[in-house]
Amino acid sequence: MAVLKNKISLKNISKTFYLKDRTVEVLKDITFDVKENEFLVLLGPGQCGKTVMLNIMADLEKQTSGAIEFDGSRPTMGDLGVVFQKYALFPWKTVIGNVEMNQKLKGVDKETRRAKAREYINLVGLQGFESSLPKQLSGGMKQRVGIARAYASESDIMLMDEPFGALDAQTRYQMEDEIIKIWEKNKRTIVFVTNNVEEAVYLGDRILLLASRPSYIKKEYIVDLPRPRSQTDRAFLELRNEIVENTDLDI
Amino acid sequence: MNSADTKKWYYMLPIISIAILLGGWMLVAQGEGSMIPTPYATLMRFLDICVHPISKAVLPVHMWMSLKRVLIAFVFAIVLGIGLGVGLGWSTSFHAFADPVFEILRPIPPIAWIPLVILWCGIGELPKVVIVFIGSFVPIVLNTYSGIKEIDSLLINAGLVLGANRRQLLTEITLPATTPAILAGIRTALSSGWMCVVAAEMIAAKQGVGFLIVRGQESGDTALIVACMLVIGVVSLLLSTILSKLEGVLCPWQFSKTK
Ligand SMILES: Nc1ncnc2c1ncn2[C@@H]1O[C@H](COP(=O)(O)OP(=O)(O)OP(=O)(O)O)[C@@H](O)[C@H]1O
Ligand SMILES: [Mg+2]
Repeated sequence: MAVLKNKISLKNISKTFYLKDRTVEVLKDITFDVKENEFLVLLGPGQCGKTVMLNIMADLEKQTSGAIEFDGSRPTMGDLGVVFQKYALFPWKTVIGNVEMNQKLKGVDKETRRAKAREYINLVGLQGFESSLPKQLSGGMKQRVGIARAYASESDIMLMDEPFGALDAQTRYQMEDEIIKIWEKNKRTIVFVTNNVEEAVYLGDRILLLASRPSYIKKEYIVDLPRPRSQTDRAFLELRNEIVENTDLDI
Repeated sequence: MNSADTKKWYYMLPIISIAILLGGWMLVAQGEGSMIPTPYATLMRFLDICVHPISKAVLPVHMWMSLKRVLIAFVFAIVLGIGLGVGLGWSTSFHAFADPVFEILRPIPPIAWIPLVILWCGIGELPKVVIVFIGSFVPIVLNTYSGIKEIDSLLINAGLVLGANRRQLLTEITLPATTPAILAGIRTALSSGWMCVVAAEMIAAKQGVGFLIVRGQESGDTALIVACMLVIGVVSLLLSTILSKLEGVLCPWQFSKTK
């Protein structure tokens, strides 16, 4: 592989919550780089601190110690695409209203931002649903809106927190193919969080396996399989089994 | 039962319940010197006061007087109530400053203010409007405030990540997310406002449905009392229906049933 630029570097990130009656140590000395335009998967058991880690990267939460460096300056709020675990769509906004939100908040005029939003709605295959409300959509469609909304901030970094975690298996497979298609059409640096080993091996260029709480990086896997991948492929299964053996149980 | 029958049955049920109410009413109203007017006597009294004025006004005018008091007070209660509720929910320092006073005044039943307000404002229109304002202001403040407090932090995070500044966080995210709670407050305020206007009119007024009820009591005119009570019921129902329509228009994501 060619030497790629580092897009994000996390250096010795730790996070401890100090509560009234106890302290919860969630992240312990986490160090890794995210390379430009790579599809990096953070794979960890439930409750290990994956959301906390993404929130720190998105500046929604402050680390207890350690530093994050970005290629260039730190993206300001609104310059980072984030897809949330539980969709986090604005229920009072239509599909297009959700997707254009970033541009609206930036003060872009209506015509321009609508055109842009349509582009991303098409990218995720939701054309025809522009004026639907989130409650009228299925789970898979909701998360497509979440993805389109994150893409529409036109950041070159996308943080995705278990975006398919709430979907049924069938929809999940579909969305996994979809996200790879979108990424290949529109290359960006993706940090994708999941607790699903198959999903990690299916999607990632590289996988960082996290230990259960307090979480640290147990192991790194380079997934050197050509796309489109097959989940029944022998090399796929070997890697999958290797990862499973090293995985901690859920807390 | 097939579904068409079920549907018919659901249309029948309200008719049956109203018929039972009317039947029961007729039964207890029977007999000489009963203190309960018959439905027929009530209806006749109702038609009578629609054309023959009491205290220089026919029933629709009295109704309009009461309604006007409620609506005027309501406009102020909505504007100031949402304002105070947003202030309490949004600004920690404003909350620290204003909440203790609000908490002390809040539990006082609005009706308890009537004597004081009459002493302050005399017996014109103002005291009634003030009483209704007190009664409808409180639920609007409370609902707005708790709506803001209970907003899903995920929506706030989404707003932040999409680049909302503090003002946009309020106008673009928090207020729309709180609209259903505010509307619920307005609904509570409406029934509380009606209660207050009738109470205020019963104590000091020359017009209004509350006044009519007291007039009925003074002259032993039970039919007048019951007619007024039913009119109040019907008008409240009407207002509540209008409010439901408004909810559907203002927050289709919450109240409309389209799937
Ligand atoms: N604000 C907070 N205060 C206290 N503890 C917190 C806070 N946020 C997270 N935690 C704790 O940190 C731990 C990790 O939470 P986090 O949501 O990051 O896990 P996760 O890996 O995303 O889990 P899941 O797979 O269920 O999404 C949890 O045990 C949680 O209780
Ligand atoms: Mg999580």
